[in-house]
Amino acid sequence: MSGTASTTRRFTFSAGHRYHVPAWSPEDNERRFGRLTVPHGHNYTLDVTVRGAIDPRTGMVIDLGELKRIVQETVIERFDHADLNADALFRERVPTTENIALAVWDLLAPKLGPDRLARVRVWEDPTLFVDYDGS
Amino acid sequence: MPRTVELTRVYHFSAAHCLSNPRLSPADNAVLYGQCARLHGHNYYLEVTVAGGPDPLTGMAVDLGVVDRTVAQSILEHVDHHQLEHAPPLAGVITTGEGLARAFWQTLAVALPAGRLRRVAVEETAKNRFEYRGEA
Repeated sequence: MSGTASTTRRFTFSAGHRYHVPAWSPEDNERRFGRLTVPHGHNYTLDVTVRGAIDPRTGMVIDLGELKRIVQETVIERFDHADLNADALFRERVPTTENIALAVWDLLAPKLGPDRLARVRVWEDPTLFVDYDGS
Repeated sequence: MPRTVELTRVYHFSAAHCLSNPRLSPADNAVLYGQCARLHGHNYYLEVTVAGGPDPLTGMAVDLGVVDRTVAQSILEHVDHHQLEHAPPLAGVITTGEGLARAFWQTLAVALPAGRLRRVAVEETAKNRFEYRGEA
């Protein structure tokens, strides 16, 4: 009987963004997105969950130091104090919380393996978060 | 194949309640519910989770304004600074955390765009959390 365990590590980054579709006129952007078209920022919180068997030698699903290093190098250094709209990841899509969650998944899945990466949860603020689990 | 995300919004309300099963005697209710049978209140948190694929143009899986308005009109206006037993969406409900989560699910499953609701969670206190998932 081999169960599966999971480990979640929390990260934070502060970033700027705005909701803006370049193909639309300023009026259409304003009509659709309201105040969200004005550049603003958030203190984001990112919860990264990794799943797997507990290694009999280490007693760990993943070395939290390794997880921390991967997320730091891959996501936090890229997004912290950055203008998300200027990032190539968001050239073709609005940096909504939904799309940030997908982008974080796409950055981490190749590093951690899509089988080990269980979920990313992006909190825009304490009242809103988006989960993506690869489905 | 569009990818599906789950978006959760956290709402807050403060309300009074007292646990009581109308089919039981006052004495039996007092035994069953103890201190919870007395009128008291909580700062509740309500989490509403909806699912969808981000729109390719707007990047939004759901219109958050619609979700906020729906939750406000169908639930929050009726419960915030009210006694839960008197709130129309909770008629006949024993207002345990589980009971609230199920009742809010049933309200939102009808009020929100069809098939989007994934989970309703109620935090009665920082120590008591309840979740409900019904048929979407």
